[in-house]
Amino acid sequence: MAMLEVEHLTKSFGGLTATNDVTFDVGEGEIVSIIGPNGAGKSTIFNLITGVYRPDAGEIRFEGRSIVGTGTNKIVDLGIARTFQNLRLFTNLTVLQNVLAAQHHALNSTWLSAVLRTPSYRRQEARMREIATEKLAFFGPRLMSFRLNQPVYVLSYANRRRVEMARAMATGAKLLLLDEPSAGMNPSETKEITKIIRRMRDEGGYTVVLVEHKMGLVGEISDRVIVLDYGQKIAEGSYRDVVNDPTVIEAYLGKKAAAAKRGELEDVDEP
Amino acid sequence: MARAGTPTAFDDVDPKRRVRNVALTLVAIGVGVLVLMFLESLGSSKLSQSLALFAIWGVATVSLNLINGTLGILSLGHHGFMLIGGYTTGLLILDEAARARILTSARSTMTEESLAISVTNMLRGIGLDALTTPDTLWVRFLIAIFLGGLMAAFAGLLVGIPSLRLRGDYLAIVTFGFGEIIRLSASTRLFAEYTNGALGFPGLTSEFGKSVWWTFGILAFTVFVMSKLKFSSYGRAMQAIREDEVAAQAMGINLAYNKVLGFVISAFFAGVAGGLWVSWLGGVRLDFFLFQLTFFFLVAISAGGTGSITGVLLGTALVVFVRQYGDPLEQTYTLQQWLTYAGATLVLMTGLAVLFRSLRRLRPRFHWSAGVLAGAAVLAFVVAAIDPAFLEGTFRGFGMRAIFLSVLLIAIMVFRPEGMIGRAEFSWSGLLGERRSGPTDDERTQDAWLTNPVLNPRGSDADVASGSDAPTAPGRSAARELDVGDERHPRDDSTDDERRG
Ligand SMILES: Nc1ncnc2c1ncn2[C@@H]1O[C@H](COP(=O)(O)OP(=O)(O)OP(=O)(O)O)[C@@H](O)[C@H]1O
Ligand SMILES: [Mg+2]
Repeated sequence: MAMLEVEHLTKSFGGLTATNDVTFDVGEGEIVSIIGPNGAGKSTIFNLITGVYRPDAGEIRFEGRSIVGTGTNKIVDLGIARTFQNLRLFTNLTVLQNVLAAQHHALNSTWLSAVLRTPSYRRQEARMREIATEKLAFFGPRLMSFRLNQPVYVLSYANRRRVEMARAMATGAKLLLLDEPSAGMNPSETKEITKIIRRMRDEGGYTVVLVEHKMGLVGEISDRVIVLDYGQKIAEGSYRDVVNDPTVIEAYLGKKAAAAKRGELEDVDEP
Repeated sequence: MARAGTPTAFDDVDPKRRVRNVALTLVAIGVGVLVLMFLESLGSSKLSQSLALFAIWGVATVSLNLINGTLGILSLGHHGFMLIGGYTTGLLILDEAARARILTSARSTMTEESLAISVTNMLRGIGLDALTTPDTLWVRFLIAIFLGGLMAAFAGLLVGIPSLRLRGDYLAIVTFGFGEIIRLSASTRLFAEYTNGALGFPGLTSEFGKSVWWTFGILAFTVFVMSKLKFSSYGRAMQAIREDEVAAQAMGINLAYNKVLGFVISAFFAGVAGGLWVSWLGGVRLDFFLFQLTFFFLVAISAGGTGSITGVLLGTALVVFVRQYGDPLEQTYTLQQWLTYAGATLVLMTGLAVLFRSLRRLRPRFHWSAGVLAGAAVLAFVVAAIDPAFLEGTFRGFGMRAIFLSVLLIAIMVFRPEGMIGRAEFSWSGLLGERRSGPTDDERTQDAWLTNPVLNPRGSDADVASGSDAPTAPGRSAARELDVGDERHPRDDSTDDERRG
């Protein structure tokens, strides 16, 4: 049984169908990329899975259980966490506090015992800090040491992306939805993040679904690629197959250009 | 991995310093207690009353700060919660004589049943007659303010519920509306039986509200709970909600629970503050709980530093000081005196301007505007000394206190929008100049090494896992990381320090 099953998912905003009858699944331990031109509905799928939007039709199952209608925060409890395309960190909190806040939902202690700092609360707090450093360590030493206690707003853009990924990992989720993890990163930072995503799966045991525009990254790490266009799934398969699929080339380049090109799909950069 | 350094102690305080900090805190508390004892020995002076008022309003502002600062919701209904606590406490501890007077008064709207509600009767009911003697009044007062807090907390629960659906200005209006509804409904028929309508309860004991021990004790308790809460996982969740609701929810934080929890805890302490406040005033009346009260608290919070408990207390001290000692501002003086005072104010402003510029390391330190201020001061002094004919007559500074407070607030908002203390809390390390607001030189070197391929030429194949780090495009990223201080943020001063470093 697949970890995540999405069936006939449909969502419209007014007259615009952002997601149109999309079906796919994600097995445990897979890295699946969702690609597609701008406005194809990639982020909308993440928002549907995480309960930000409620689908008009269709079904989403996580580990066999339907999660449609479950609250966003409850979905995190079940084991799905995400990052945002436009960073959404807790800007005035420190790096460490950001990653700790992501573990609050698993805290098993009332506010009163937190105020009184009962032994059980202290133990959990210490454990949370361990997990936080463990997750931040994925990104090498650059978020450690003095960075731990720096407020997020002094960090560079790339570091903020890293903190956001660490924060998603720290929720204790099994499935990570990464929305353009390499946006705003330079080529070597992108290379690094590619490795990290693979390590997240290999060492962290996470299953990863990511939305990306950088084909280099997608080609390197994806077990499977899903292509969306105008809310519809137009192709699915290995990176090789997908980029050579005429419908995909057409979606990216338009009919004429596709006919002219019939070649390799170039890296599509952000607008 | 050695180069990377080990993660620092989480609170960034080494054990030796922590022991020292605890010792310093104990010494400070001891000194505070001695000062209070000394004041107590002088009898009930204006100073000790003002200190008690500071502590009472401190309970109110620190609790309001939980909603406004930590949770990031502008709440304007704090006076409503205080009213509930105040009326509950008043009704519960009113003494027999006062009750008899209310019962016989023709205009009273209270009944025998409602007047029978008291802590004394409750204690009698459960057979604890020992606690109903005059010298155990303090026990009854404690029970009364606790129950007052609980009643207010219940109201906080009700007010917190709209916060689940509304945000920002809309929510602020709703909280304001709730505060007013509470205040206005207290005098309606529905509740007049318990609130005695517009008359309220006169003749309440001031034994507790004016005692610095009681008020400061409860303030200490409030600060203890609030700071423990703020620095717990719950506090982090609330701050996360303040920073970004969508992200907080996406990280599993239950918005509804945490917001309502914030409202309830805050309202509880507001209720307690209300109980102390009516005791300080020596009676309960509707006009003791006007919106003005919440306004004063908001001024205190913004002036001190939204979100910072120490900042809020500093702001409260300022507001209470102006309220209590501002009456010389409202007296009648001759115009010559006014002019002299104006000159003195200008001298003070000149000094502050120079101080401000040198603290901010702005150049030139003596800006031309300081010259203008100083010139105006000299002019004022000279004219006052010559005392020309048009300076005959007197002027009474009606409302000068409020004007003074407003001007002060404007000045703080212009020059330090984050408030006097800002978002940070007081810390001994900060006071002694040990606070780490940026990386040390060592760490900067290490950071540069991490991100600069010129310093760390092992190319992009370097494996992140093995402890070294993939470098980035030449120079670019390193520069970005090192110049973090350029991204200034209005709410924090740490970037300033970094810029200097
Ligand atoms: N809340 C909303 N209300 C109305 N329209 C929306 C909403 N969210 C998304 N849309 C629309 O749905 C379409 C798909 O948006 P989505 O953000 O999913 O695209 P995307 O594939 O993530 O694009 P990008 O690559 O630019 O991130 C867009 O046309 C967008 O304008
Ligand atoms: Mg998107």
